[in-house]
Amino acid sequence: MPTKSNRPFDHTFWLFLVAVTAWAVPGGGHFLIGQRRHAYVFFAAIVFTFLIGLYIGSIGIVDPVGAKPWYLAQILTSPVVGWIGQIAQKGDYPVYGRPQDYGQIYTALAGLLNLLCILNAVYRAYSGIGETIGREEEHG
Amino acid sequence: MAEGFPMLLAGFFAPVEIGTTPLSLLWMFPLLLSIAVVYKATRLRVLFWKQFVLEVLVLFLTLSGFMILAGVVLNLLVWLITS
Repeated sequence: MPTKSNRPFDHTFWLFLVAVTAWAVPGGGHFLIGQRRHAYVFFAAIVFTFLIGLYIGSIGIVDPVGAKPWYLAQILTSPVVGWIGQIAQKGDYPVYGRPQDYGQIYTALAGLLNLLCILNAVYRAYSGIGETIGREEEHG
Repeated sequence: MAEGFPMLLAGFFAPVEIGTTPLSLLWMFPLLLSIAVVYKATRLRVLFWKQFVLEVLVLFLTLSGFMILAGVVLNLLVWLITS
């Protein structure tokens, strides 16, 4: 793992890279800064929450046109959600009632939890927490 | 077993049946567990499994207790207003 001193690129770019990775794959930011256990926990919790939401409400709950506010929260989970939204737009997937509500709450909350993880990963990268305890943590 | 996976996959294309019964409220517990897991993981600087599981359990029970209490209080309020 590159440290501040031997990193071949700018610190701002490093933070940006951590943020983008954390958004692309839940827990990816923590994985990048060496906090592997955090990364596994975040990945499992967020992906599982999102999948439960999709299972409850069907993929039709990812609706970038008819349910934009929900979609804005859902897309925070990963860019993959945009692809799911495209599939959902092309097909005619039934969405109704309580399953829709529950599914939207689950998937939107997965996105908001990932936002928390992104901010946490960037903060840890900024303050160098991952650099100082990364190795220690792997053996702990 | 062979039918299990396609059935699971098909589940993503049609909504699950959730009735308007008090039992449907049980769906909040996986969500509370997820919140407890992610929140606790962000708070712990170093993650030791035993301590982590214990802290998640405490937070999950606290959240669940508060939600149940909120449900009881709201039900009581509705009962008092409507009776």
